[in-house]
Amino acid sequence: MMKRVGIIGVGASKFGRRDDVSVRELAWESIKEAMEDAGVTQRDVQLVVAGSTAYRGVELYPAPPVSEYSSLLGKTPIRVEAACATGSAASFSAVNAVASGVADVALAVGFDKMTEVDTATSLAIGGRGGNYQWEFHMYGTTFPSYYALYATRHMAVYGTTEEDMALASVKAHKYASLNEKAHLRNRVTVEDVLKSRVISWPIKLLDSSPISDGSSAVIFASEEKIRELKIDTPVWIEAIGYGSDTSSIARRGEWTSLRASRDAAAMAYSRSGRSPTEIEYATVHDCFTIAEIMAYEDLGFAERGKGASLLREGQTEKDGRVAVNLFGGLKAKGHPLGATGLAMLYEVTKQLREEAGPVQHQFKNYVALTHNVGGTGHYAYVTVLSR
Amino acid sequence: MDGIPLELRYSLPEKGYERFWEGLKRGEIWATKCDKCGVVYYPPQVDCTNCMTKTEWVKLGNKGKIMTYTVVKAKPQGYDKLEDYVIGIVKTEEGVDLMCWIKGRPKVNDTVTLTTDGMRVIGETNAL
Repeated sequence: MMKRVGIIGVGASKFGRRDDVSVRELAWESIKEAMEDAGVTQRDVQLVVAGSTAYRGVELYPAPPVSEYSSLLGKTPIRVEAACATGSAASFSAVNAVASGVADVALAVGFDKMTEVDTATSLAIGGRGGNYQWEFHMYGTTFPSYYALYATRHMAVYGTTEEDMALASVKAHKYASLNEKAHLRNRVTVEDVLKSRVISWPIKLLDSSPISDGSSAVIFASEEKIRELKIDTPVWIEAIGYGSDTSSIARRGEWTSLRASRDAAAMAYSRSGRSPTEIEYATVHDCFTIAEIMAYEDLGFAERGKGASLLREGQTEKDGRVAVNLFGGLKAKGHPLGATGLAMLYEVTKQLREEAGPVQHQFKNYVALTHNVGGTGHYAYVTVLSR
Repeated sequence: MDGIPLELRYSLPEKGYERFWEGLKRGEIWATKCDKCGVVYYPPQVDCTNCMTKTEWVKLGNKGKIMTYTVVKAKPQGYDKLEDYVIGIVKTEEGVDLMCWIKGRPKVNDTVTLTTDGMRVIGETNAL
């Protein structure tokens, strides 16, 4: 019998170029905030899962220095990695530890310092995010180019336009401007996006999330422990769904939708007993603007090929039919790979607890989800939460 | 401060895939196929992991259709000295989807002639 699991504390560092700290202090920023939020100390935390891709920072094995700095020695048996879904892999592991009874209180911390290498090196690491031998080595794929292959096909099959994609960027920057922890806080227009430098056509600079440093932490506890600690605002994990797909993008057989996302969503909806129409708030994986449009479709918020219409009609704005990424999304808040999945749980927890300040969404039934893709659909996690 | 540089030098095994790399030098594209279940593997793999058996090599034809493409302008380390290049995914007449570089002016659903430059597969568009 699995135990019911709730979130009792969340923390997030400021995202951006963080030359002022090493990865240890960066991770501590979010761990400290999460423990203070939950009202617990290191003594209460029984198990820590560290999520980091670590490829771009000097610390290739970052869990030990982070747990040492954070006084969490003896509690960090594992570091997990699932590319851009690393934070969700960390939460998946921590939630399972609590659900199974291995720990009553588990902390998942995700972090990456991505700005320690230059952009060409970062592109070469991201290009290895698919299949090294048959794609990166032979053809010089980059991470933007993988998503560009989806964008071109989506445009050809469904008539999605570069202007449609730009709307996702405009929305992300608008909300990030209200988030003091966001990396990019400038507002942009559709014209700005269209005129920005081409990275991998049709993806332009302002269609892309920035290269960011950051950390996020979430503390999970069992229902009994939540009662014992007298936490009166737990956010419940209703279900986590997962999916995965081929390393070679050419083998996917379709380039307008992510099978891993569809599978993860189907599992999460089925296990929680929820349907897409019940979701009032969502964080979706918008590493590039086309990814946000595909996410709407893969999560069932829009029919296949109709994702862009939600943006055009403003249905994913604050107080829209389903509000999406009101903290600025990966696109503008930033996307430090290991932190992102946990930053999504941070955001949804703040929203469900009505602590989101200027971007607080009005809920009726307090049901939300996070959607976090690793690689270009190599992994996906969808988590359904409620208050 | 500057960190200590980490220089990684790799060497990759080619064993079992000589047919593929030699084929590329002759302008040929090779895949593998399982005689038992009929699955064609591209990228090729020596094992049929469905049937727990070994695959056989099969040569692919040289006609295909562009499924999607992108023009790479921001290039990664290792490709940074090259001009902009076009990465495409092409469906061959046998129904195999493969990555290639596109030469010419690409358009989704255009037909291409598949060839190689000795190191990779090239799809040449017939459009001017």
